[in-house]
Amino acid sequence: MEIEVEQSKLAKALSAVSRVAAGARTTLPVLSNVLIRVDKKKTTLTTTNLDMAVEDFLPTSLAKDGVVTVPAKLLSEFVANLPGNEVVNLSVNGDKVVTRSGKYSSVMNGTSAEDFPELPEIDEKKAVKFKIGVEEFKAGLTQVMVASSNDLTRPSLTGVYFNTNDGALYVAATDGYRLAEKKLIDKVKSEVKAIVPSSSLAEVMRLLGDNDDEVEIIFDDAQVKFRLGEIELTSKLIDGSFPDYRRLIPEKSETILKLDRAELSRVTKLAALFAREAGGSIICEAKEAGVFSVSSVANEFGENDSEITVKVTKPNKVTLNARYLIDALNVLSDTQVIFRFSGGLAPIVVTNAKLDDYTHIIMPLKGKG
Amino acid sequence: MFDVWKNVLAKLEQELSASSFLTWFDSVELLDIKDGTVIVGVPNVFKIKHIENRYNDKIKQALIENDVKFERVEYVLKSDTPKVKKGREVTTEEVMTPEKARKEHDGVRVPVRGVKQSTTGLSERYRMDNFVVGSNNDLAVSVAKAVIEHPGGRYNPFFLYGGPGLGKTHLVQAIGNEVLKNNPKLRVLYIPINHFYTEFVGAVRKGGMDEFRKKYREVDLLIIDDFQFIVGKEKSQEEFFNIFNDMHQAEKQIIVTSDRLPSQIKTVDERLASRLTMGGAFDLQMPSFEDRSAILQSMAEFMGVEIEPEAIQYLAENVKTNIRDLDREFKQIIAMAELRGMTPLELISGGYIDTTVRSSSTSKPTAKKIVEKVAKYYDLSVKEMCGKSRVAHIKTARQVAMHLLSEELQMSTTQITSEVGVKDHTTVMHGIKKIKSDLRLNFTLREQISEIRGSIYE
Repeated sequence: MEIEVEQSKLAKALSAVSRVAAGARTTLPVLSNVLIRVDKKKTTLTTTNLDMAVEDFLPTSLAKDGVVTVPAKLLSEFVANLPGNEVVNLSVNGDKVVTRSGKYSSVMNGTSAEDFPELPEIDEKKAVKFKIGVEEFKAGLTQVMVASSNDLTRPSLTGVYFNTNDGALYVAATDGYRLAEKKLIDKVKSEVKAIVPSSSLAEVMRLLGDNDDEVEIIFDDAQVKFRLGEIELTSKLIDGSFPDYRRLIPEKSETILKLDRAELSRVTKLAALFAREAGGSIICEAKEAGVFSVSSVANEFGENDSEITVKVTKPNKVTLNARYLIDALNVLSDTQVIFRFSGGLAPIVVTNAKLDDYTHIIMPLKGKG
Repeated sequence: MFDVWKNVLAKLEQELSASSFLTWFDSVELLDIKDGTVIVGVPNVFKIKHIENRYNDKIKQALIENDVKFERVEYVLKSDTPKVKKGREVTTEEVMTPEKARKEHDGVRVPVRGVKQSTTGLSERYRMDNFVVGSNNDLAVSVAKAVIEHPGGRYNPFFLYGGPGLGKTHLVQAIGNEVLKNNPKLRVLYIPINHFYTEFVGAVRKGGMDEFRKKYREVDLLIIDDFQFIVGKEKSQEEFFNIFNDMHQAEKQIIVTSDRLPSQIKTVDERLASRLTMGGAFDLQMPSFEDRSAILQSMAEFMGVEIEPEAIQYLAENVKTNIRDLDREFKQIIAMAELRGMTPLELISGGYIDTTVRSSSTSKPTAKKIVEKVAKYYDLSVKEMCGKSRVAHIKTARQVAMHLLSEELQMSTTQITSEVGVKDHTTVMHGIKKIKSDLRLNFTLREQISEIRGSIYE
């Protein structure tokens, strides 16, 4: 096996794939390697941690068929530190991998490729496919991933639920205390219900380049593939059922307020300072006088009370966790937001004032309030 | 037919390296044998092809040896069995519940049945009343007491770390014993992490994972000792992580000891590392001269033997490595004194004891050496450090030097003034007081001082 490729291209490809390998906390040394395969002059770099795999197709000026694996991080860092604009030559000599570039060269111990797991394939003819613009994908996923859980005892909540409903593709996530849902694609023909691990999605987000304009998402029963230009990330799906969350979104609320996002965010953060002792619990109250008050009490330090002037249709009061509200306000984009609730233990709904198919729900806290 | 599969796994385990076996065959099961086809269920879509490519022949061979008649073996994806355990099926009502406002600890739950003493792994000789409290460990001890009062309360998990022989095992076993004393019905389990690993691997091999998990699900207080040995045992780490999460969610107390912080243990998952210390991380430090004297004193009381204050001072000055060594040297002197019919002091002054102590001790450092080591540690010259500079980090270094001079050499504040180049002994008093109070809250400072102390005695 031998390839020749510009330093910058090789460095970029290696840095893209090596994170998955380096991040693999594995007892199996070969999983921290990158598989370099040249098959019919086509060069592919592959890494996997057995939860997901990343493949990068690398255009090369010279390519002789063959396959080898080398420690991903080591090779990636070596190549990254070579001078730019030079051509890098990578060749296999026995079980050694020789990297040369101008005056620089290195010899690394490779491992036979047969120890490297062969990745599962998706039969694209049978698979369900979607296409979406990079910007919409990024924005939509950022908005829902904030609500996903990292509690491994409830695996189905540690991912984002891709599901079709009434001919549209939605993504949703919940950790049991809050829920976020976004309509990702308006009109789709095929149907899907799949939970994609948040960790894989986080990696997809990192891999999204500036020059790609489309993400292709391909589902089969057990896995999903994200195609981003020359890079493909395949992830296993989370086995389990996602709750029928739509029933939880209240259609109507007693009290509907239109608030300035920055101002609401500021008063929430102020109240949160005093709410630390109480596990972040703050009290939001819409008063008849046309005032929305956010307050918190910390026995030890004192208390905090802030007010926003707003049109109030019906007075109401609710206790909630400040952190969840701050998170929600962070992923909303409009200058005005709608905060609607019915008091007691009914869910609170937060959305942009200019509706954009994004819904964020926060469950109130039990307790005084 | 499923017993056959256990034999197949046992054979594979023999033939493969432990890491390969655990990586590829954890939770792999025989699903069915039908019409000459053996159906093997693999829990991870990424593993199927590899198992088929690399291990098909070995599996077939093992099946034949176990008299299984078949034509072919098929590998299929099976539902993700409790690897990352499937959790309960989540129902809608359960998903979004109004979060409980943080509540007071609601008492320890009463278990269904008690546990015999012998199954706890605890040794009765470790108790709170024979644990000597000093400035090196008082913070950890007060937290330990809080844990005994309220298992599963504020300090959950309780993460305790420190060098060898400083009393980690003693303190955590004492907690276990005290908790049991308060409530004999609770299920307490003390287990060093390598035993946990052995148990886990055994369970994987014999297919006893359900039992293994059940055992840990039923524990009310779990004490894991020497967590640092988790290095390189990814699967047991994952399993421990699951157990940890379940227990923590159920507000059951977890206690973990280690010789360093989890973030400093290679290959420990970041999520696990941060969770382990979310109840706070508390350290046991090398005892100071005064602490060492107090420990010796209480050892003497505990054993009911007489020892002169001078002999105690001699030992405290000369054995500085850790408490375990102190204990050993002390017992040796007492035994020898009895044997020769001398008092410990006569033994020491007669030169009989010198050789035994020397093995674990080094000569008393000089004031100059301490000042030099502190300056070197903070990348300063002795001249820079000793003087009037008000620059914060230089001032801190100077105060650390004062602290160590007072702790290690028992120098008076007036003596210290000349060593660190300050005029007034009240400045020294203030400096020592400042470091003492900072030490209580500042973990970085504690670590720094402990490292410097180590370098002094190198």
